[in-house]
Amino acid sequence: MYKYILEKLGDFDWMALFALLTFFFVFTLSAYLIFIKDKSEVARLSNLPLDDCEDLLPQ
Amino acid sequence: MSEKTTLEHFSYDNKIVRDFGIATTIWGIVGMLVGLLAALQLIWPDFNITQYFTFGRIRPLHTNAVIFAFVGNGIFMGVYYSLQRLLKARMWSDLLSKVHFWGWQAIILAAAITLPLGYTSSAEYAELEWPIDLGIALIWIVFGLNMFGTIFKRREQHLYVAIWFYIGTWVTVTLLHVIKNLEIPVHMWNSIPVFAGVQDALIQWWYGHNAVAFFLTTPYLGLMYYFLPKAANRPVYSYRLSIVHFWALIFIYIWAGPHHLLYTSLPDWAQSLGTVFSIMLIAPSWGGMLNGLLTLRGAWDKVRQDPILKFMVVAITAYGMATLEGPLLSIKSINAISHYTDWTVAHVHVGTLGWNGMLTFGILYWLWPKLYGTKLFSTRLANTHFWMSTLGTIFYTVPLYWAGWTQSMMWKQFTADGFLAYGNFLETVTQIIPMYGLRSLGGAIYVLGVFLMAYNLIKTARQGSLIRDTKASAAPLQDIPMTDGVSWHRWIERRPIQMLVASALVVLIGGIVEIFPMLVIDKNVPTIASVQPYTPLELEGRDLYIREGCVSCHSQMIRPFRSETERYGEFSKSGEFVYDRPFLWGSKRTGPDLHRIGNKYPHSWHYNHMLDPESMSPGSIMPSYEWMIDQDLDTEYTFAKIKVLKYLNTPYEFTADEQVQKAINAQARRIAKELNEQGIEQENLEDKEIVALIAYLQRMGTDIQADGVVNNN
Ligand code: HEC
Repeated sequence: MYKYILEKLGDFDWMALFALLTFFFVFTLSAYLIFIKDKSEVARLSNLPLDDCEDLLPQ
Repeated sequence: MSEKTTLEHFSYDNKIVRDFGIATTIWGIVGMLVGLLAALQLIWPDFNITQYFTFGRIRPLHTNAVIFAFVGNGIFMGVYYSLQRLLKARMWSDLLSKVHFWGWQAIILAAAITLPLGYTSSAEYAELEWPIDLGIALIWIVFGLNMFGTIFKRREQHLYVAIWFYIGTWVTVTLLHVIKNLEIPVHMWNSIPVFAGVQDALIQWWYGHNAVAFFLTTPYLGLMYYFLPKAANRPVYSYRLSIVHFWALIFIYIWAGPHHLLYTSLPDWAQSLGTVFSIMLIAPSWGGMLNGLLTLRGAWDKVRQDPILKFMVVAITAYGMATLEGPLLSIKSINAISHYTDWTVAHVHVGTLGWNGMLTFGILYWLWPKLYGTKLFSTRLANTHFWMSTLGTIFYTVPLYWAGWTQSMMWKQFTADGFLAYGNFLETVTQIIPMYGLRSLGGAIYVLGVFLMAYNLIKTARQGSLIRDTKASAAPLQDIPMTDGVSWHRWIERRPIQMLVASALVVLIGGIVEIFPMLVIDKNVPTIASVQPYTPLELEGRDLYIREGCVSCHSQMIRPFRSETERYGEFSKSGEFVYDRPFLWGSKRTGPDLHRIGNKYPHSWHYNHMLDPESMSPGSIMPSYEWMIDQDLDTEYTFAKIKVLKYLNTPYEFTADEQVQKAINAQARRIAKELNEQGIEQENLEDKEIVALIAYLQRMGTDIQADGVVNNN
């Protein structure tokens, strides 16, 4: 039985559909989640590289 | 507020960053010089100096050196610098940092010794033999421990997107390395892969493609998302876009591998998947490129003056070019032209010279003054270097595009009467030698630029002094309890382990759906009754072919085009490769395809050709393999190899070493006698390596021929 299912796996149509659907799901989910994020929070995050907490060197 | 009282004081480890920086510079120069040597060998075969430095052994040395030594150390340099600062924490363990550094250099050294000695698995970008594979796994785990240890003791709640790229890289490279290197050791420097033929090919290119994706691309994107904002002193254009970039990229990339196997014996459905996903890749790649370039909007005046930003802009543009070209090359009709030619070589160098090289240089110029508490020694020299890199890349790639296109057209050209216009393959090679000359010039300019950089960095270091640790202070992380309002997204982004699992899942989906059916469904590899295992002597000959790296110039995969079947004979069937461990389809035809070489020439032709290719093919750029004429064949491990192959279900009947040796001697004597009859006189000829090689060459592709019938051509 499961051998039969595996044989069916070889059909490209099924695979393409599955791949596209999962991709669509991952893509929309990540896009949705990031776009509902609070604007100021996103701004803070994108500034993380510029704020490295290094103590100023004595000049 | 009470913030001041809770501040913790700590320091960032700069020395480890500096050490990786030195390593990337030195190995960069070494790796590129080896590349230059390989380029010269393709013009003047005399540059194939001794058996240890022929093109077939030098080429993997070059690719391994620039990928794992130059870019590898570049990744670690950037990760160790940015990770500490993004997490506001010192690396978890200084000891692990040191083990990581020295372990990685030891692996590189081992590669630099074993590859010229001919110890290779022949799998592109995974050539190293199993003991070194184990070493890589160990050091990679040390790196992972150190990275996750640091993430756990961080003082910043959120993981910046660069760190996502680092985590995604670490997980996927682990996965790739383990699956690609499933092999059974025969002895210390030899092993046999678990998968054979088509399956080995699919795994290889799933690996090979993703080595490009997850070693040359995702970690460098992480570096871009950190160092570009640093150098431009402004945040990335769109943080939101960077998140979508990350998930879309790691999801799609993992599927694209089969585009390396279009028109081969790989089943059609797998080829189509490779094409579809490759084209989809344009979207996230260009999203990432635009995100990088737009970060500099309104700051272009700064770019004009600052060599660091110039390097980064050209690097990101090269990333965009390479990631547009890649999907185009995955379209079957374009691939039919580009595959096996120098077009692919040009394509990959846009990525490596442009994207990896120039981003590394930009980061080094930015880092060095910071690490040494001084200014860059000479901005003018850096600007000169920038122009040398850009010109070098152009001089390298444009002639090769030309060469690839020209040669492919010549391969496919028919006369009005329906014959191949260039029936002699060599004609299509000599035609493009001038292009190889220009390419070498481009490479030389590029590597001279790196020397200039090294000088500039040394001078910079001399005028300052290394700040081994940078002091920093930040508040410790507070445990923020999960409340109902916290979204799944925040939950995952704050938790590195969930992040690791999620990205592992995302890449696994692609891997499993694409590869699993190939491994379990028999109908994907139709068997052919007349295909038999190699004889012990042929097996040893095949291992010589592997040792010498013939695969880097010769394919063994005839595509189903009239231009190929006319030239080489019947197109290759997947069932012909069921006993090929490893598969040797190759990816570049500097010489002709060899899949149907069996029975094409008499033994003596091969003998003379291997001794001096120009004697049979005047003007050939194939190296001479004279040592195969003198060296005795080593059959000490033949039986051990056969035992492993039997274990892997190859139907051999041998049960003892004597049987194997007897079979070897009998076949070797027969071939030596035939050579004699064809006028080759040599003492103890039957013991020599050349006889085993000839046995293999004469066997190749003959299993499906009717008795003794020689293929056309
Ligand atoms: C630098 C690239 C290069 C390498 C490495 C190389 N070859 Fe070649 N080979 C060529 C070129 C170019 C030709 C075509 C000109 C000629 O016949 O020499 C050729 C031709 C041949 C031919 C004749 C094919 C035909 O159909 O006429 C054989 C057989 C061959 N090579 C075997 C080998 C073997 C075995 C090795 C490894 C020991 C090897 N080659 C390594 C470039 C290479």
